Amino acid sequence: MAYKPQYGPGTSKVAENRRKQMNPNQKLEKLRDVTDEDIVLLLGHRAPGAAYPTAHPPLAEQQEPDCPIRKIVTPTEGAKAGDRVRYIQFTDSMFFAPCHPYQRTYTECYRFRGIDPGTLSGRQILECRERDLEKYAKDLINTELLDPARTGIRGATVHGHSLRLDENGMMFDMLQRRVLGEDGIVRHVKNQIGEPLDRAVEIGKPMDEKWLKAHTTIFHSLGDVAFRDDQEYIEYVQRIHTLRTKYGFLPKE
Amino acid sequence: MTDAIYPQVRIVPMRLLRPDTAEQLLNKLIQVGGIRRMTINGPNLPATVPYGPARGEPNPHPDRRAIRVGDQDVMLQIQVGMVILELEDESYIPAVKKAADETFADKGFSCTVQQGRYMKTQPTLSDYAKYGPDADRELLGLVDPRKKDRPIIIQGTK
Repeated sequence: MAYKPQYGPGTSKVAENRRKQMNPNQKLEKLRDVTDEDIVLLLGHRAPGAAYPTAHPPLAEQQEPDCPIRKIVTPTEGAKAGDRVRYIQFTDSMFFAPCHPYQRTYTECYRFRGIDPGTLSGRQILECRERDLEKYAKDLINTELLDPARTGIRGATVHGHSLRLDENGMMFDMLQRRVLGEDGIVRHVKNQIGEPLDRAVEIGKPMDEKWLKAHTTIFHSLGDVAFRDDQEYIEYVQRIHTLRTKYGFLPKE
Repeated sequence: MTDAIYPQVRIVPMRLLRPDTAEQLLNKLIQVGGIRRMTINGPNLPATVPYGPARGEPNPHPDRRAIRVGDQDVMLQIQVGMVILELEDESYIPAVKKAADETFADKGFSCTVQQGRYMKTQPTLSDYAKYGPDADRELLGLVDPRKKDRPIIIQGTK
């Protein structure tokens, strides 16, 4: 029988959302249309329209060693062109953000190629070749993986994911890269590392509480699905925990 | 330093406050009277970018501004998340609760008002290094000992 990945355990809505995000065959809902130029501005690695700086000559122009792995793996566009490795980093509020660091890493590993994700408790960084990064960043920003109020694009000074929200529902950001306008639209006024932008970049309206709770991948015992309510998830986590604890003693079931 | 006979309360709103709301709350609280000492707490809003490639560059932030509390200007360097009060006696607590509830009534969120001990009871090493052995114990814990700022005195009616 052909192997069919399950992506994750659990019977709750949160578990279902996690599986949906991880499954590359499932198309993520597109919610906004941030342009390529805006993405370049947000990332702040190069000026819009500028050529991609390179770390090495294009692969076609340099002698490749005779390596079987290189014959199997097709290089990504960025790797082919010899782009620098650059990053995008996200912070997700614990108040029902649509994604969170571990989930982001799993999702990206299933969906993207040639990436190096870094997972921390309050932030998640994705490193890859620059032109691949811009393509992936567009997917991460324009789809349901991001909420303008509860997800931050923060290259540095990420503090805020576990704090109370601001009065207007935005996640705390000491650099205030994003501002909620009078018209209800969130705009980036600084790039991801906190340098002011020449023009504000529109991200769109924050999603409402109902949408967030329906799409969140975070268990939250106050106000939404508690982790303890998902028996299947607990059973799975406990099984993994037991097995990895016993691993050194040759586990046998 | 705190004397055990003075009750302390902590007001914790469900959201981090904007300067306007903080100003409103603090002014309502000082109208209640009976406050000996007050501290506001919350996450820092630095004047310059503290980390990363843009480190040291100015950090314009609209919430880092002065608010008017009573007859004094208070420069906010934080986003207000908690207010700690030391009161003359327990009879002021219901009025403090009422003032806090009134402030947040039309904001769409609530707050909790708790009684306990929230201010310093012993000078720390940093306090000792800054103020020495004969520090004014009333002032300990009111300001960050690593900063040059002094506490702000708001005149009461006594």
